[in-house]
Amino acid sequence: MTAPVKAPPGPLAKSYTAARPGEGPAVGSWWAQATRKWRDRPLWMLIPATAALVIIVLVPTAITVWLSLLNVNVHTLHEWLGAPFYGLQNFVNAFTQPSTLGVTLGWSIFVSFAFSLLTTLVITPIGMLAAFSVHRRFRGRGIVRAIYLIPYTIPTFVTALTARVVFLNGSGLVDKILGGLGITNGQTYWLIGPHAYWAMQLTEIWATWPFIYLMTLAGLQAIPKEHYEASALDGASKAQRIRHVIIPELSGVLKLAMLLSTIFHFGNFTLAFVMFGSPPPPGAEVLPIAAYYNAFTFFNFGDAAAIAVVTMVILMVPAYIYMRSTRLAGGLN
Amino acid sequence: MAQASAALGAAGPEAARGAGRRSWPPRQRKGSAVQSEAELLLPVWLSRLVVVLVLIAVLVPLGYMLLMSFTPNYDVAAGVVSFAVLTAQNYVSMWSTAPLAQGLVNTLIIAGTSAALSVAVALMAAYPLTRFAFRGRHGYLYTLIGVQTIPGTTLLLPLFAVFSWVQTTVSVHMIGTYFPIILTYMTFGVPLSTWLLVAYMRTVPRDLDEAALVDGCSQLGALARVIFPVMLPAVVVAFLFAFLVGWNDVLFASVFTNQNTQTLAIALERFSANSEEGGLPVYGQLMSSAVVSAAPVVIIYLIFQRYLVHGLAAGSVTG
Repeated sequence: MTAPVKAPPGPLAKSYTAARPGEGPAVGSWWAQATRKWRDRPLWMLIPATAALVIIVLVPTAITVWLSLLNVNVHTLHEWLGAPFYGLQNFVNAFTQPSTLGVTLGWSIFVSFAFSLLTTLVITPIGMLAAFSVHRRFRGRGIVRAIYLIPYTIPTFVTALTARVVFLNGSGLVDKILGGLGITNGQTYWLIGPHAYWAMQLTEIWATWPFIYLMTLAGLQAIPKEHYEASALDGASKAQRIRHVIIPELSGVLKLAMLLSTIFHFGNFTLAFVMFGSPPPPGAEVLPIAAYYNAFTFFNFGDAAAIAVVTMVILMVPAYIYMRSTRLAGGLN
Repeated sequence: MAQASAALGAAGPEAARGAGRRSWPPRQRKGSAVQSEAELLLPVWLSRLVVVLVLIAVLVPLGYMLLMSFTPNYDVAAGVVSFAVLTAQNYVSMWSTAPLAQGLVNTLIIAGTSAALSVAVALMAAYPLTRFAFRGRHGYLYTLIGVQTIPGTTLLLPLFAVFSWVQTTVSVHMIGTYFPIILTYMTFGVPLSTWLLVAYMRTVPRDLDEAALVDGCSQLGALARVIFPVMLPAVVVAFLFAFLVGWNDVLFASVFTNQNTQTLAIALERFSANSEEGGLPVYGQLMSSAVVSAAPVVIIYLIFQRYLVHGLAAGSVTG
């Protein structure tokens, strides 16, 4: 592998590469300057990434916002972007009229909020305790840590599929355990009706707590050893140490972890889509499901776009906090 | 970008914290006696109790899933799952019951291609982002974070419409081919890959590429021949995360692929939906297919545990 020779070796090459932005002499035609700039400051290397993000993410987002203001349905689809202007009527419809699924946008927002917030609330203490429990060295810690990771690594569609069988009425593991313990009669319909939400909730908790665990572990490792030692030497009790040393040091990571976790749960489409039959029960009508079914099953494109826009607007709040809290590395400058 | 981006959003900014430290991820320091006392965050009994409870909560469903995958279909449906009637038959017959092999090949093609493209594009973007100061550089990095939080359902409908529009306008077949799904997954992999590579590339000394430039490499040549080999660990991590986008996604694949190009996730989803609607409860085979779909990902995670976990967790550490 020989490098393509762009500049002759020797002193001349030195002058080529030494040309840093602003330092190079502004000599030659504009074309010569442009090519030199192209070569010495290859900002064009950003073009592929930028183009992909614009075409696949930014333009479609703009289209969704535009579609949500149009009266697009199966009849006007052929002229989709030129469909009659509808103002905020799609939003009004989505909020006031139950979709073909039988739920309104307000209900879906409620389910999504409950689902994402409750999940984060439950998995945070679990994940923290799990991280604390493997911070101490013991025989087999490596294996325990690996097992802790497994639920998070299993693809969501597999978790959902397994949950579908585990929550089977009567013959599933959950009903057998609950029935065996005498908590229920062992004949609960988890996948349809009012219990569906809880089946989905429990599955999400089982599958996602390792995220908090991982973030806590990373946070613990970032705490300088001296802080542990100082508190140990001061004779602080373990409870005091956790409360006054560990939690404050972890608070940055934990807040971020909770924020991110809530964003993911809010956008979880796969679990509800794969876990339940079609159409999913009302308890599983989270926002992504509502948008999907409106668009691709009932062809209410306007409603679907309105739901998608509402989802995006809701997520803008945590997304903004996330962006603000992200510390750009000082070393970048 | 829905669940596909669970990992995506998780890691954002700022991996290797100590700039200049070349071991990535950093190894844990070995501790002395004082340190191990200091590591004891919970009383030993509580720590043990937590470990036992968590292991039970994780392993019982997993074990049950494995057990079901070795149990005949009708026994699973009837709830008769025990160690008494084990058979590997499910792992044999599932391939002919559902188009799993085809789905697996499609997933490997789609996820593999999109991940490779994603890393290449991210590598190119990371170079100017780390090597040159220009207006809007920080804004660009922030935008990459913001983009990750846009929900997939916002993009699905217009993307579908755009691809259909291109299809009718240029009369090139689009929906159902590999092209739109690869392009989509590739793009979803770019923000995280770029962040991971930017964080790592900052630790690569500039002398290295400047030496290559002096030797007559072009900037792209320096990136490909000198920086890329040094960055291999980060490239592998970025590739794996981008690969998982394609392996795990259901949302986009359910709309952009057809019967010939469907991914493993879609093959399995349809398998489960059909087996219920058709009244033929092939739960045993469903579970064996689930095990086969999850095993590669779980094994990859466990093999590359240290790297992936670091990329995932340290990726979102704030100040």
